[in-house]
Amino acid sequence: MLKQAFLERAWPRQAWIGIAIAVVAALALLPLLPGAIDSYTFSFLFFVFIYAIMAQGWNLVAGFGGQISLGNHAFFGLGAYTTAILWSGNYLWGSLYDAYPRLYYFDPVTMVLGGLVAALAAVIIGLPLLSKLRGDYFALGTLGFGEIVKVMFINGGDFTGGAFGVVAPAGTFDTLLPHYVVGLGLMVGTALAIHLLMRSRYGLALIAVRDDEMAASANGINVLRVKVSAFAGSAFIAGIAGSLYTYYIFHVGPDSVFDLDWMLLPLMMTVAGGTGTLLGPILGAFVMYAVFDLARIVVPDYHPVISGLTIILAMLFLPKGLMRSFGGRVRVV
Amino acid sequence: MVNLPPPEILLQLSLNGALGGAMYGVAAVGLSLIFGTMRLIFLAQGAMIILAAYFARALFYGLGIDPFLSLLIVVPVGLVVGWLVYQGLFRRAAAAEDRNISLLIAVGLMFLVQNLMTVIWGGNTAAIVTSYTASGIEILGVRTSFTRSMGFLIALAGTGLVVLFLRQTIVGKAVRAASEDMEAATLMGISPHRVNAIAFAIGIALAGAAGVAVATTFPFNPFAGFIFSLKALVALALGGIGNVAGALAGGIILGLIEAYVQYFISGGWTNAIAYGVFLAVLMFKPEGLFSRPYKKA
Repeated sequence: MLKQAFLERAWPRQAWIGIAIAVVAALALLPLLPGAIDSYTFSFLFFVFIYAIMAQGWNLVAGFGGQISLGNHAFFGLGAYTTAILWSGNYLWGSLYDAYPRLYYFDPVTMVLGGLVAALAAVIIGLPLLSKLRGDYFALGTLGFGEIVKVMFINGGDFTGGAFGVVAPAGTFDTLLPHYVVGLGLMVGTALAIHLLMRSRYGLALIAVRDDEMAASANGINVLRVKVSAFAGSAFIAGIAGSLYTYYIFHVGPDSVFDLDWMLLPLMMTVAGGTGTLLGPILGAFVMYAVFDLARIVVPDYHPVISGLTIILAMLFLPKGLMRSFGGRVRVV
Repeated sequence: MVNLPPPEILLQLSLNGALGGAMYGVAAVGLSLIFGTMRLIFLAQGAMIILAAYFARALFYGLGIDPFLSLLIVVPVGLVVGWLVYQGLFRRAAAAEDRNISLLIAVGLMFLVQNLMTVIWGGNTAAIVTSYTASGIEILGVRTSFTRSMGFLIALAGTGLVVLFLRQTIVGKAVRAASEDMEAATLMGISPHRVNAIAFAIGIALAGAAGVAVATTFPFNPFAGFIFSLKALVALALGGIGNVAGALAGGIILGLIEAYVQYFISGGWTNAIAYGVFLAVLMFKPEGLFSRPYKKA
């Protein structure tokens, strides 16, 4: 009974599900429009997908889990580097890849490995951090962790390519269609996975830990395990996003994939969309990236200034996020 | 086994490290005040430091005001700007339950200030070169530049003034009370908004002082600030959050660590080791290196 009431309150109304399905269908059918694949919209949407995936990952640990991670860019970079190193060194597919290099777009094994490496790093750093630190101190710790990982990759020698980074074999793609499809699929898949996760016992435990750690612990929830797994799940999602980005960018360097923007922008998109809501991160990614990109096109010289202003204005006037300001009866706390 | 260098080199390393670290320290004192009252990781602190550096540079090349004399302008302007920044940007967010909002406003402010500086002054490296920039002082056979020593004095004076303010004035007492327990302080009739605004005013004023020290010592560019924010956070954690004098000491320790790592290991690892020490302190002594056991932070 209680659980039922909780779920009703926690999740958006049926209408949102309908809208979501319609939007996803429209996005999936978009490539069928003539000329769409070569248009600018396509690459725009691809980036929205990446940011939405990152935002969803941050929302898992911070929005649902209540642990503010400021290190998700490190997990993004770890996934990106894992992919670039496996790909450029051709560690996985040997002769198969040599025979058909043009067929190599996305291989799920490499992408999952990218996510796993990030998740492993999250467990290694998360166990000590989350058992010792709470709240702001955890946020500070993850920020420091991100910087350490970046320096390690700069000093990684031949393996990581130092300050220059790793270049993947060029010439394997001449259309953005696969990137678009995989990006869209991952965005939808991540949202569905988190939806299912949050409806499970684990999801309830995660929210219980966020709302009252002591009470959760008193009810037999292993608080540390719940926190670390949410952190690792968040890192896994970020790692997959980093892997996807590598297939697009080819050149992975410490300054590009460990850039703080990969943490700050998804964070901002989540808060703007609505933390702790399922569709908030996606909506936030669409809206905020649209604003930034529009500014980049309309006022190229001032666009970072506009980005800064947008963040401030969004936080001043929409502190609850789009989903909770306009989304009707959704999760309140 | 590492060969120990001759003592004068060790002394030189320590001096350079301590003098450079004092600048992180003064930035950390400001962060400490803001964090103490608002529980806000004010990531824009570094950007404000660089903004002050550009301001001091404009005063020097535009009006011929000596950078150290310009402290008399930069610090009061910083107080006013800090007050306004709080009232305009953080007042509403400070009352909100969700502290991500304040964090993101700080991030937005950082973006805004960085890029406004790029638009106004360009993205290239800038510096202040005065007639005394190249001159040095020699103490006990150890040489240091005049500007670095001045930066150190500024840091000491700034921290000293803040400590005096917190200890000796009734307003300072209110700030300290609010840092320890905002709820209880509010019950005692302290207005959280006034305390927050004061913390912000002093924090930005200290960023101004640090900016002058940076402008006279190092070349800088609009994006150099973020690393200052990070280093100031490290210094803050080393010194113990909420411990103002500790923040300065934390900055000096960080400067020493950096200098030693640079000499004994390599420049490329400086940041990793500094952040490693930071993580270790957060984990094993989250109340900072200088807290006494009976006084929990």
